[in-house]
Amino acid sequence: MLSFLVRRLIITVPMVLVVVSLTWGLVRLAPGNFYTGERAIPPAIVENLRQKYGLDRPWYVQYGKMMANTARGDFGTSLKYLGQPVNEILRHSVPVSATLGLLAYALALVVGIVSGTLAALRQNSRLDYSSMAAAMVGISIPNFVLGPLLVMVFSLTLFWLPPARWEGFSLNLVMPVITLAAVYMAYIARLTRSGMLEVLRSNYIRTARAKGLSDRQVLIRHALRGGLLPVVSFSGPALAYLITGTVVVERIFALPGLGNYFINANLNRDEPLIIGIVAFTSIAILLFNLAVDVAYGFIDPRVRY
Amino acid sequence: MAADVRRWPETLLAWCASALSVVALSTGCTSAASHSKYFGKVSPPEGQQLRYISGSEPESLDPQVSSGQPEARIFLALFDGLTEMHPVTSQPIPSMAERWESLRENTEFVFHLRPDLQWSNGEPITAEDFVYSMRRGLQPEFAARCAYMAYDIQYAQAYNESGVFAQDRTTGAFVPDPEHPSYRLVLPGDPKKREAALADPALAAARGKTYVPVRAEDVGVTAIDARTLSITLMRPIPFLPGLVAHQFFRPVPRAAVERYADQWTRPEHIVTSGAFTLKEWQPYDRIVVVRNPRFWDAARVKLERITFYPLEDTTTMMNLYKAGAVDAVYNHVPPAAWVDQLRGYADYMDTPEVAIEYYMFNTLHAPVNDVRVRKAFNMAIDKAALARYRRTQKPNTSFTPEGIFPGYPRPSGDPFDPARARALLASAGYANAAGEFDASRFPMKDVELTYNTTESNRQVAEFVQAQWKQNLGLTVPIKNMEWKTFLATRAALDYRGMSRAGWVGDYMDPYTFLALFSTPTGDNGTGWFDRRYVALLEAANHERDPGKRYQKLAEAETMMLDVQPVIPLTTQATNWMRKPYVKGMYPNPQTLHAWKFVYIEHDESKWDENPQPVID
Repeated sequence: MLSFLVRRLIITVPMVLVVVSLTWGLVRLAPGNFYTGERAIPPAIVENLRQKYGLDRPWYVQYGKMMANTARGDFGTSLKYLGQPVNEILRHSVPVSATLGLLAYALALVVGIVSGTLAALRQNSRLDYSSMAAAMVGISIPNFVLGPLLVMVFSLTLFWLPPARWEGFSLNLVMPVITLAAVYMAYIARLTRSGMLEVLRSNYIRTARAKGLSDRQVLIRHALRGGLLPVVSFSGPALAYLITGTVVVERIFALPGLGNYFINANLNRDEPLIIGIVAFTSIAILLFNLAVDVAYGFIDPRVRY
Repeated sequence: MAADVRRWPETLLAWCASALSVVALSTGCTSAASHSKYFGKVSPPEGQQLRYISGSEPESLDPQVSSGQPEARIFLALFDGLTEMHPVTSQPIPSMAERWESLRENTEFVFHLRPDLQWSNGEPITAEDFVYSMRRGLQPEFAARCAYMAYDIQYAQAYNESGVFAQDRTTGAFVPDPEHPSYRLVLPGDPKKREAALADPALAAARGKTYVPVRAEDVGVTAIDARTLSITLMRPIPFLPGLVAHQFFRPVPRAAVERYADQWTRPEHIVTSGAFTLKEWQPYDRIVVVRNPRFWDAARVKLERITFYPLEDTTTMMNLYKAGAVDAVYNHVPPAAWVDQLRGYADYMDTPEVAIEYYMFNTLHAPVNDVRVRKAFNMAIDKAALARYRRTQKPNTSFTPEGIFPGYPRPSGDPFDPARARALLASAGYANAAGEFDASRFPMKDVELTYNTTESNRQVAEFVQAQWKQNLGLTVPIKNMEWKTFLATRAALDYRGMSRAGWVGDYMDPYTFLALFSTPTGDNGTGWFDRRYVALLEAANHERDPGKRYQKLAEAETMMLDVQPVIPLTTQATNWMRKPYVKGMYPNPQTLHAWKFVYIEHDESKWDENPQPVID
């Protein structure tokens, strides 16, 4: 187990560096520059800017500097938001995205697992059909439709909830969390239902019942453990995606998370910020996948490291 | 399987129920919103505070660093200028300078500062602060993107470009510029480029001299005494008092800047000169400014606090406005599709804007290198129909916008005339045996219309494409490009045929538009450059009499329109909203508001009044 962990963590480092290198190359290939704007800048001013930011140096010097910075975990200062270190931007925005993402995922897990399990236990019942129909709706309605719909009803008609903006833990979070959770809720419900259906028919559940365990014990100690495996594998990438900024929801609800920066950093060709966000996101994805693999070891008795 | 079929009606029922409830709710919304005279909820915030949506996250709160509008809206609260923008007309009004005079045919200006000007920390503001700030903005290492705003100041460009003067070793005299003998000659600082420049026989006198770098002290900004500032120019700039209201010329506090370097704009370090000072700055969330009691005009300032919300999504902004969570939004927030409905509300702000939209021609390449072809493409567009389609705009057939520069004899440009357009194309050689225009002879592969990707640009491009199809029988392909790619393509004249452009005036003078063609590169984008045009502009600026000056500028505009390097499309109109209780915030051509005039009116009976500002 330990050697597996160490091995995977060691692989993470070169993977992040490869991702960062590719990103750097792509940013360099993209036309335009951070200083190009609607107004043309005289060549002399461009020259001043290029000198100030070291863009007049050979590419390998610039690449080396970027890699050294990345390796140290210090991505430098944003080229767009002057005087703002990338690490500080991440420190500001990641908690917002993470709060939103974790709340949404917690909501999705609770609702999804409960309704999926109930649907599996009462297969082909009214409950099963209605919860799966609701899940279908959840999957089919994109968040850029659901979000504005909620705003229209609860903020602009009933005036119950604020339509947007971040105020810490407050009513402002209700609609973004629901909007973000809807799709995940639906997926998890469906994954739970199919996982549980398969497990409930398996031999070891029959054995458990034959041993005389109560329905409750069978369900919680044996069935859920196996039935939730698909949910666990789904959770890794889903969580990584959720906490590294959900562009659409953050924009609709004007939340100061990583999502806005992610879009704007690219549009602005803000290289240090792009590199910082890409490095952070790839580390998050690699770690969450690792966490899923580790979790398998605990949940699934067939998996051994 | 059978079970599924049996249960199907139940599921269907559940679906219908949910769909119905959605429909019911949404229709409920539209009927509830359409009663009032104002858009959405109207409930003033407590006391004197304003909540304003200011656009994207500011790049920086250093006025010499950021060049954009989202920042300008905030700088107007934090930093004062020699002049300020009039809240209604956007023309310059006295601010830190109580008066000024122009000397030597508009090539020198002397500004007289008010007594008792103070920074927000109580230190005095003197003419030296202006000198320091302008030198700082022009410093090459500082690399300010809008340094070019000050290039007309004597040797400002030379200093910013790290140029050198040529000095005689023995006499110490500087070699004069052969074209303008009253100024010193400026050569490139880079030895290789200097060698190349000196190859020009006209500059023979400058060979073999000592080359001294242009220093900050050579820039034509001097403090005559603590309250008198002189600015000398390379060329006559009659609109300088309007120009110095721009953020680049607003002074920064030397002590704080030198002590905290690029961190001086943080709330704990910042020192300001404007009506407000910075209290809080949460990126992508809020910027809070509070009243500055040391501001020279503090007696006028009624607002205790302004919260600026930097946001990205316009629908979200409108939602916040409608829900009453903000009191005003910046220009062009309401989406075009809403405008017809919003125009009916009393809180919709609509006035001519100092902005134009046009298409450029790449005049260096066939077939649009032929002026007849360019004129034909221009005359084949019904601009009045385009403006109706665009809703917030007026048709424009000349280049400068309409209704903004009182007294300017704006030329009319060519009208919509499809028959004449076809005749012009025929005369350009695209005709059949009978001498009539033949669309099949036109080289369509060399013409396309390029625009940067936005919904509204696509709509305009499709509209114009349809006009050309209808009136000329030519289907011009339209092509969209990502913003920065588009800018690079356009600046390098790498586009074929036509390309989209827009321009927002920097100051309230026709020159801000006409100067686009005063250099062959930069924002010109068309490849058309004529020294006679530049000479005409210069002659106009030498004119002391404003009426005669306007006349000459109009002559230059006529000359440009005759060559038709552009297709003028529309003049924009402002398109923003503010709640009826926000007073002193007027629709103006630049939609920049001097916040000292703004206040919250809690007396509901006065909401429909429109008191005009008192300016001493």
